Amino acid sequence: MTAAHTLPADQQRLAEDIYRLMVAQGAMFAVDTPIRQTLASLATFLARREGRDRAELEAAIDMALSADSRFTREVVDGEVRFVTTRQGAYVPREGADTHSFKQRLHEPENPLPIDDISVVVSTSRPAITTVEPVYISDYWQVQLAAPSVEGETEAVAAPEAPAPVAEAIVEEAPAAPEEAPITVEEEVSEPAPAVLEMPAPAPVEEAAPEPAPAVLEMPAPAPVEEAAPEPAPAVLEMPAPAPVVEEPVPVVAPAPRPVQPPRSTVFTLDDATAIDLRRPVDEIMAEHGDLLAQVLAERLEHDPLQRIVSFGRKYYPEANLASFGKNDLRKIRDYILERNEPLLDTEIIADLYYHNPRQADYEGFRFSLNYRLHREKDFEFVGVEGAYLWATRGLTITSGKRLKAAEMGQITSYLVEGYDDSPELQSIEAVRQSGSVTRLLTFFEWEYGVLPLDAGLAALLPPPLLPEQRSAVLRFESPQHFTTYLVEVRFPAGNRGGWLQGLEEFFHEHMVPGALITITRTGEPNVFHVVYEEGSEQTERLLTFDEKKNRLAFANVSFFCVVDEDQLPTQSRYGRLNRLKAFPMGERRKAELMLEHVSETIGDQVGTPAEPRYAVTLDDLYVAFNVLRPGSRAYLKALLERSEDFTADESTPGLYYYIPAPRTSAEEVEEEEDESLEERPPLRQRYGRYDEDE
Amino acid sequence: MDAKVIVFGETAIDRLLQWLRSTGQPQDITDLVRQYLEILSKAVREENE
Repeated sequence: MTAAHTLPADQQRLAEDIYRLMVAQGAMFAVDTPIRQTLASLATFLARREGRDRAELEAAIDMALSADSRFTREVVDGEVRFVTTRQGAYVPREGADTHSFKQRLHEPENPLPIDDISVVVSTSRPAITTVEPVYISDYWQVQLAAPSVEGETEAVAAPEAPAPVAEAIVEEAPAAPEEAPITVEEEVSEPAPAVLEMPAPAPVEEAAPEPAPAVLEMPAPAPVEEAAPEPAPAVLEMPAPAPVVEEPVPVVAPAPRPVQPPRSTVFTLDDATAIDLRRPVDEIMAEHGDLLAQVLAERLEHDPLQRIVSFGRKYYPEANLASFGKNDLRKIRDYILERNEPLLDTEIIADLYYHNPRQADYEGFRFSLNYRLHREKDFEFVGVEGAYLWATRGLTITSGKRLKAAEMGQITSYLVEGYDDSPELQSIEAVRQSGSVTRLLTFFEWEYGVLPLDAGLAALLPPPLLPEQRSAVLRFESPQHFTTYLVEVRFPAGNRGGWLQGLEEFFHEHMVPGALITITRTGEPNVFHVVYEEGSEQTERLLTFDEKKNRLAFANVSFFCVVDEDQLPTQSRYGRLNRLKAFPMGERRKAELMLEHVSETIGDQVGTPAEPRYAVTLDDLYVAFNVLRPGSRAYLKALLERSEDFTADESTPGLYYYIPAPRTSAEEVEEEEDESLEERPPLRQRYGRYDEDE
Repeated sequence: MDAKVIVFGETAIDRLLQWLRSTGQPQDITDLVRQYLEILSKAVREENE
């Protein structure tokens, strides 16, 4: 962290960022090996990564790195380069390489024979008892001795003048007190206190036993140190250094250590959120926990070395991941297909790898499996938090062949467009607290076994675990019939809505449109209960869809559930519903078109044959519209208000009039042609679809 | 360490990795953040002391 602190924070950060990149590039280099990058390369890389202007970024990099002490700027052939090392600033190596292996082996050219067995070195264990010594020349003995000699002489490499003084002192005072060496050691190791203890310039006689100032002043301290314990007379006889001793050096107190200003304990995030690290961690977590988790997750995800990897909310060192080969993946895929349903990761581990949850590495292995499967195209994660389910290519999760995902996404797009009125019926808070959602089944939901993923259901069901997760598979259990259904939740994406599918069988067997169902959470995150209120047997002539004939019709149906009479599509109340055309799903996406068709079909004709005018209530429209496609009342109201062909009856709330737009001549001709053909089996009708009899 | 030079998510991430390895198990992001804050706090405190 030696970035130039005089630079603006953004440039410091830029320099820090580049330093990390270059250090990562040279991760395997020696600590002092130069790591080079051209300015152009750095600018190109960072401009692409950050989406900034390259020229501007190049100038910023040049300024930031030039001011940073860790980088050395070079210009080679007109190209600017920056050099750094893993240990910081680049310092070129000295020319003399005293550690050259080659040099060690070949210098001198002809090694001399050795005389001393102590210099015999064997580099390998001999296979036989005979030792073949490696002769090391005297050169090495000299080389080895040189540093120590130098080290010894460093202290005495002073001017020659003091040397005789020391010798003279030693000679003249051979019987120095035994404390002398101790005193020397103390003075050598702690010279400063010796100086500080001197209260004032001492007279010559006193200066002799305490020669510490002389130690500081004398260029050759060693001899003088030896002189330290000597008695004063010996010092007095000193010819040369005597004047030095006589002139007491003023006591120089060591420079006080510069008082550094207290360092900051506050760091800031990119959004300028300041966090003081002196505060307790729990307090910081309570206030900024979510934000910090988000920032940390993003940073770890963009770490070029990918040292810490994640799956969902879990994080694990990349180096500790267990490896899964192609055979493992094939085995897992085959097993999922064999079981013919998405499988939990724990099931896969138990059945294929026989890992016991009590094993110490179980969680790491489990993480590795999930992480690996997530990166494979052949596998799709369809689980939720607490239940990691995996599907694979070729596995049919639910029998929703009648509905295409793309079409359903568009049909339910009204939910993400702001026309979701489910909170008006049951508040989100109530759903979260009670853990259940109650709703009436419409004809479309009953017929296709789907439920639009409105706000109420979204509050009840678990959210996607992974950011790009498309769907999750839940298990819906019917405690009334002891049956289980796999339900696929398709999460909203972009402008497409979400929905649940897979309840077709359950709805058809036990319910009718207009029935009240309740979905409730259980202890398992991926298991829900679906119940309905049972009632006495009723038989009604209800709207049904004959898929073979592709037409709506009324038929006698017996059922045992409580229904909302207003929503029950009986022939007596909604006798015209069977006139609705069973449009293909592609057409049903066009909500305005469906609304016009529904209004024209079930509305009361209050106009003239030449100028038709249909009166229809919102409640009837809601039931009829939901025969062809799902739609909330709020959505219908928005469509009615948006269309110029619909007008609200101001005197009767909820009553609307529909006046079809006058048709163009081409349409009229087509219509006439159609009418003329109606006597025969009709071929083609309005909206470009084939008739039900075809 | 001067906290001004801390880049959250980058500074001292090696120590976080070391801790994660030592635990031997995957850790939740909340625990990871908590531990990371502990590491940063310690680094700042040590420097100031």
